[in-house]
Amino acid sequence: MKQNISILIGGVQGEGVVSTGLNLMKTLSSLGYFTYANRNFSSRIKGGNTTLNMNVGVNKAYAVSDKVDIVLAMDEATIEGCTKHLHNEGVLLYDSALKANTEAINSIKAFAIPITTIAKELGAPSMKSTSAIVFLGRLLNMPEEIFIESINLRYKKKGPEVINKNLQILSRIYQQDTISFKGVNLQLAPPREQTSRAVLMGNDAIAIGALVGGCRFVASYPITPASEIMEYLGNQLPNYGGIMLQAEDEIAAVNAIIGASYGGVRSLTATSGPGISLMLEGIGLAGMAEIPIVIVDAQRAGPSTGLPTKHEQSDLFTMYYGGHGEYPSIILTPSTIEECFYETIRALNLADIYQCPVILLSDLTLSLSPQTIEGLDFTKIDIDRGKLLLAVPEEQGKDSFERYSITEDGISQRVIPGAKGGIHHVTGLEHNQVGGPIDSPKNRKSMMEKRMRKTLSLSKGKELIIEAAPNSNNRTLFLTFGSTYGVLKEASKACNATIDIGKIKMLKPLPCKELEAAFNQYESIVIVENNYYGQLSKIIKSELGYHNKIRSVVKYDGNPYSIDELMEEIGGSN
Amino acid sequence: MATMKDYSNNISPNWCPGCGHFSILRAIQIAAAQLDIPKESLVVATGIGCSGRLSGYMDTYGFHGIHGRSLPVAQGIKLANKDLTVIAAGGDGDGFAIGLSHTHHAIRRNVDITYIVLNNQVYGLTKGHTSPLSHKSFKTKSTPYGSVEAPILPAMIALANGAGFLAQAFSAYQEQLVDIIVKAIQHKGFSLVNVYSPCVTYNKINTYQWFRDKLVDLDQANDYDNKDFQRAMNKLIETDCLCTGIIYEKKEASYLDLLQAKDSSPLSKLALDFSIEEFNKLIEDFK
Repeated sequence: MKQNISILIGGVQGEGVVSTGLNLMKTLSSLGYFTYANRNFSSRIKGGNTTLNMNVGVNKAYAVSDKVDIVLAMDEATIEGCTKHLHNEGVLLYDSALKANTEAINSIKAFAIPITTIAKELGAPSMKSTSAIVFLGRLLNMPEEIFIESINLRYKKKGPEVINKNLQILSRIYQQDTISFKGVNLQLAPPREQTSRAVLMGNDAIAIGALVGGCRFVASYPITPASEIMEYLGNQLPNYGGIMLQAEDEIAAVNAIIGASYGGVRSLTATSGPGISLMLEGIGLAGMAEIPIVIVDAQRAGPSTGLPTKHEQSDLFTMYYGGHGEYPSIILTPSTIEECFYETIRALNLADIYQCPVILLSDLTLSLSPQTIEGLDFTKIDIDRGKLLLAVPEEQGKDSFERYSITEDGISQRVIPGAKGGIHHVTGLEHNQVGGPIDSPKNRKSMMEKRMRKTLSLSKGKELIIEAAPNSNNRTLFLTFGSTYGVLKEASKACNATIDIGKIKMLKPLPCKELEAAFNQYESIVIVENNYYGQLSKIIKSELGYHNKIRSVVKYDGNPYSIDELMEEIGGSN
Repeated sequence: MATMKDYSNNISPNWCPGCGHFSILRAIQIAAAQLDIPKESLVVATGIGCSGRLSGYMDTYGFHGIHGRSLPVAQGIKLANKDLTVIAAGGDGDGFAIGLSHTHHAIRRNVDITYIVLNNQVYGLTKGHTSPLSHKSFKTKSTPYGSVEAPILPAMIALANGAGFLAQAFSAYQEQLVDIIVKAIQHKGFSLVNVYSPCVTYNKINTYQWFRDKLVDLDQANDYDNKDFQRAMNKLIETDCLCTGIIYEKKEASYLDLLQAKDSSPLSKLALDFSIEEFNKLIEDFK
């Protein structure tokens, strides 16, 4: 029995590859298995080949291997390309309605399965997805019953007729189909515990985090790979009295959340690189006027339109240094789905506490890769609105309200329109303590310092997580962030966890002391990231030094690292 | 009863003597007093340029944002707290050059705010550059040989785009201006007030006298019906858009009317606590 099995589902884009994969992942996750999947897709609605590369196992996986055990082909292109995905013992299942190029498959174990035929026979070609999943279940020697509950749950909204048809497909494939998967020995070990877990993508986790974190206003402009966040919140916010506004562009989106946040509601926008470029002036306004906002940047390959459906981690410079002038901002870099959830809540809190823009930096792979998650801890949800005054004490409200009073920690009391005695002016111009424009050098200096002081105390916490090998005497630390952490972790597992890996959770302010303490323990630090410049490595070098210790490992071809690629890097360095 | 002084913070505007904007600032203050709006419930959001400074002269909540973006900010404020009266104000560059797209979308989104354009057909604060509302052949530092671009006709495009409340006014006709601003604020939905506000320093063509000679006052026309879309369009064509008064008004549900129940809480006052049952239900959806 196997601890984990990898499956690649390929088909024509827009014809249910992702939903087939997700249905299978949800079914298996409801039994206690862990799943993880990567999507490979192109910028078109229908047509073209798309694949979902999935790992199913007894233990949690953070990335997926390049070579899979099973290819399920729902189009001819997947059959053609299957040998490049399959390892030596791999199995190809393909829809018998397809023309199979015998040359492509004669060297491997291949089975034609009547996915389309059965779906058509029993009612609707749209049920191909169920048909395909059930065949996979049979191939893996899974009991028929596991699919019954899953079908009931999946098609509840569509009514008993649809449920029945899908159940008929199930029984037809298990009871009547004569195909035998001779010579295939693919059976998963039983799950460690029988518990039902959810399957989420990073964007789902961010959206749920926003909702439970008290965000009630979202303004966004659709963009890959961030749209799911506005879609989910557009659906859920009305149930909680909130609003999702589809803005006319990202400039409107960021300015609308600035207005809404100033108006007193926790607000967020989600976008990707091109949207970030448009938002920068607004982000600077939030920095200058000290308005709490959260911007999710699900990075994709740039510059310009770049590779809109491909992965990259190349917005670090823009977010770290970007916007004209200087202002404090916070950048969080979650690297797992669970962190996407917790860090979104944290981002909303940090924005309120430090009264500045907070950027939640995700990437395409993290945002769009579905996986089975550990339970999210409800007790960790905490809402802290910082120095927000709901009403102004009478004696304080007699004169103009000092919205920008100079304080020791740089953070001033904030009041929202509607509050008596709180009237003040807000401006993107340099201003005095009541928000009036003023250009005196003395005021400028003290206001700059006040704003910059706000986030100085921030990088105290555990922003650098190091996972050292047991009894490690390793001289090298492999450091990364975002979804690359998952690949690094899997690569580390593949070398029997003999290496030391680390991830950084907060990029700005950079946790210099933590990094320094860690770097002193190693002879070399290898920083792994998906961009050309080695942006994380350059930022760390400029803030900390250690130029002779840091080696940068980069990839910028539009794809995340594969486990094998990172294993090669590790081998070369240890 | 409030008076206009209640809405003034006694900061002297830095506008040139004779600038049309003084009258608009005063008119907003008088209108607020007439409507007796509690000053802490009034928010004025402005853009950049001479006009942008207006929010800084109001003793109300004021938001002076970035160039061309007063409308997204103002809409965000209103959606955060529908109990507030929200006025956006800006110049012709703000509303019809850099921010033109927001103007169009604010019209069709129909959030209940009032947008007052301080229109002087020139860029004043940059020291005299052409505006997309400047007439052809208009000479400025950026058009030394005269502008060759056709001007935008704000009223015409607003009406064509479905504006629910469209009015034009003139700084020198203050009584009408006040009356229009009062009605614009009362209008349930997005209201656009385009005010001709002469720049005495950089626009030597569109002067007070020029407007006095050209402007047609619709309030004086006995047969004008501002509920009639066709007639409104005809009037704009007839007068080359040089008319004052409420040009068109229609009643329709605002953005929030369509999204929320009347008695729903403003977003800023929502309780944010979440029960574990609700939370678990959200997660169940992903199983």
